[in-house]
Amino acid sequence: MTSDNSEASGVSEPKYPEVMEAPRYSCALGGAISTALGIFGTVPILHSGAGCGQAHLNGQAYGCGENAGGPQGGTSTPCSCLVEEHVIFGGENKLRNLIQSSIELMDGDLYAVISGCVPALTGDDVESVVKEFKEKANIISVKTAGFIGNSYKGYELFFQAVIDQLLRPLPVKKGRINIFGVVPYQHLFWKGDLKVLKSTLQRLGIEANIILREFGGPQNLQEIPAAELNVVLSPWNGHEIAKSLQEKFGTPYLTFPGVPIGPKQTSNFLLQLAGRLNIPAEKAQKIINEEESIVYRFVEYLGDVHILGLPHPYFATVADSGNAIGITQFLANEMGYLPEVVIITDNPPQEIRDGITRELTENIESIFKPDIIFESDSHKIRQKLRDRNFLVLLASSLEKFIAPELGAAVHLSVSFPSFDRLILERSYAGFSGGLNLMEDILSKIVAPL
Amino acid sequence: MQSSQNLIDQEINLSENTCPNREQRARGINVYYGRASELVRDAKCGKLHNRERKFQQASGCVLNFYLSVRVNTIRDAAVIFHAPVGCSTPALGYRELFRDIPVELGRPDNFDLHWMTTNINEQDVVYGAADKLKFAIEEAERRYSPRAIFILTSCVSGVIGEDIEGVVNEVQPFCSARIVPVHCEGVRSRLVQTGYDAFWHGVLKYLVKKPEKKQKDLVNVASMLSYTWQDRREITRLLGKLNLRPNFVPEFATVEQFEQLSEAAVTAPLCPTYTDYLSKGLEQEYGVPYFLYPSPMGIAGTDEWLRKVARFTGKEGEVEALIDEEHKKWQPKLDIIRKELEGFKGNGEKIEVLGSLGQGRLLAQLPFFDELGLSSKAAMAQDFDNLILEEVEDLIGKVGDFDILVNTFQAAEQAHITRQLNPDLALTCPFQGGAYKRLKGITRIHALRGDSLPWSAQSGYTGAVTYAAFLLQSLKSVSFQRTMLAKTRDSYRDWWYDQPNPLHYLEKEA
Repeated sequence: MTSDNSEASGVSEPKYPEVMEAPRYSCALGGAISTALGIFGTVPILHSGAGCGQAHLNGQAYGCGENAGGPQGGTSTPCSCLVEEHVIFGGENKLRNLIQSSIELMDGDLYAVISGCVPALTGDDVESVVKEFKEKANIISVKTAGFIGNSYKGYELFFQAVIDQLLRPLPVKKGRINIFGVVPYQHLFWKGDLKVLKSTLQRLGIEANIILREFGGPQNLQEIPAAELNVVLSPWNGHEIAKSLQEKFGTPYLTFPGVPIGPKQTSNFLLQLAGRLNIPAEKAQKIINEEESIVYRFVEYLGDVHILGLPHPYFATVADSGNAIGITQFLANEMGYLPEVVIITDNPPQEIRDGITRELTENIESIFKPDIIFESDSHKIRQKLRDRNFLVLLASSLEKFIAPELGAAVHLSVSFPSFDRLILERSYAGFSGGLNLMEDILSKIVAPL
Repeated sequence: MQSSQNLIDQEINLSENTCPNREQRARGINVYYGRASELVRDAKCGKLHNRERKFQQASGCVLNFYLSVRVNTIRDAAVIFHAPVGCSTPALGYRELFRDIPVELGRPDNFDLHWMTTNINEQDVVYGAADKLKFAIEEAERRYSPRAIFILTSCVSGVIGEDIEGVVNEVQPFCSARIVPVHCEGVRSRLVQTGYDAFWHGVLKYLVKKPEKKQKDLVNVASMLSYTWQDRREITRLLGKLNLRPNFVPEFATVEQFEQLSEAAVTAPLCPTYTDYLSKGLEQEYGVPYFLYPSPMGIAGTDEWLRKVARFTGKEGEVEALIDEEHKKWQPKLDIIRKELEGFKGNGEKIEVLGSLGQGRLLAQLPFFDELGLSSKAAMAQDFDNLILEEVEDLIGKVGDFDILVNTFQAAEQAHITRQLNPDLALTCPFQGGAYKRLKGITRIHALRGDSLPWSAQSGYTGAVTYAAFLLQSLKSVSFQRTMLAKTRDSYRDWWYDQPNPLHYLEKEA
């Protein structure tokens, strides 16, 4: 069954649906900061009020598995710290001084000037100021007033700025791909998942440019046009980037509904890629057979706690669309868990919602199909989780303390925000990723059998 | 200009929509480096000015240092951020804050916190969002039936000229919750402390009720987020021995606790410059007396804090007995730790401590360090204003002159001074970036509110002993910071540390 906000709550669409409790993302500027910080070697330079970086630290970074700001994040991020006089007289000179000093003081392969609400309202000519530094440093301007969209939009605007201002055509390297759609800090496991995917693809002879989480990130950016194929791991995030790259460099793209979790999804992922990149299917199948057999050999170890401790429970997923699809399909299609309800929290565009719903119904092997609800308002999410049967709740840490009132015996934070776990390289991606997920779920409930 | 220096002595004007900024109210600054005695001298002759830096780092604004993570902890209230969606992300921890405190330690079993955002978008920027704010207030009332609704404003609501009071006046007659607008537009002030005053202004103007009866045993205690659950327990224990009750606001308080602020016997500080606007307002409007110094930190500080509370509550007779009793119990324990701290370096020298402090901690912690036999030849303060002018003078008298770097979480400046002064122990908070990577000691300057572990206490007598032991413990651990120093890159180029001035990028005065 599918429902949107109005149907599930039994009331008509509110006058201002965007007025909500605790939506699970930041603004466009937040998404751009996240992306810049994810590309190691980039120095973000904020042209904004003084609190925007602090908000990123306390909200996006701590909410992404309690991550610190790191060497260029948090209060280390250069910022023009605009106040009233800059609103009145303009902040261009302040920005000029800030860019100059940031280049002098902080070592970077790329300087990303990320401008927020205030200069957008006062009309600072950020591009002209940035242009003055083109000779001195690798520098781009990303215009992300907070009021133009959320973190996901910021991720796309960052890459759009890279495409428009940085990239030049390169000869295509065979077997090389770029990975998009894994939005740093919104996808909690971005660091671990990208590492796992890169090494998994390496086995197949595919060189994946994961862009994020590696030293030399700006070099990774430069090499984007060298890819044979762009791969997007989300039903909607990163699609605009891939389209842009196709227009500008002619690179085709292939999309997947999310980061593949466990052997079935990962096998499908590899086979599809092999097909697109003209890698013999037998080669892929050989790797799949090897990986599968060892993973399922390990699944044997969890058999007793699985069947004695928590067999075939109903479960609920509350997550961004890509994550929700990956987790729900893995648990339903491999572990025999019963998907009761999936709440999609990242506010995907209307036109792709049917596709998400299909992934979560037609591609679910259980005879029991979940309710699919699109909802970003944490108050309504709580209401829509009531009066159900699930024992396992895979959600954000916002649901941690309401899990008992909802009747859930197990709560695990798998989506943003997650303040209740430290996430460094944890990953649910790839063949073994499902094992990690099962460790985390069952560790919440195991006891002497 | 001379008169504006004394704006802090003028009446609080509750007919205004908000307070004056700290810059105007107390000639506040957040840029200075020099001797504390010079700072005092410059302040006295009106020579302190905020100057631009050519290099600056994200440090926190009037909304987003503090209010965004704090106001939403008021238990039976709802908060509306009238802002784009990003301004409220720090508030996403609201359902978890305080929840890990065991009920046995006094946490209420059931509570539910709520906040919403108006999610100001492009269309609102063009056409205004007053109707949407109105809708949000009505929706909050429908959903949560709160006793109060706080509206937190933002840069955008300010720049586009939203008429917040207009909306409040229109909606309040139909709303059973008391609506409290708080003007915390990020661009309004350089000083995050303006946010405190703006919040208290709203509380005083809209929430505090005329006293129905005076509660002679009630002590208002305005507590910072850097005071932990154990600090509250210690304050409660000490006041309890005098048959007094604390009224802790604003964090995790009920709306009724705000309404009753006017009925208390006294307003006592944990942090003077945090509490000041509220204290003055309560005295001016309702005759509730107050004192601002000292904070209950360290043995002497706690003694004096209790004596002052006692003076306003008629407990002078009992307080000396309490102080004696506490000294007998805690002073010997503190002496043991002090002895170990004094002998730690083995060469007769005192341990040198560098802390990054708010104004309140600057005044409270330096004497406490002195009590512990620690030396602080320098300190960093988040900001400086005339509210603490005399007290800094007293402090210099007590502990001697010291260097002071005034900045609001400027990580490069803090890393610089930490490297340059190379203290035995650097007390950091995460906001100092990589300043923790060093050969000598590091630890946190304080824990946070939700922390209920006994070792996180700092206030009162038990806090003095606990924090002393904590500092001693920190000196025994060096591998983390040394490893990180050796194995990671610094955020700044080498030349930064080779030149002498942490305020290298200060602009020349116009």
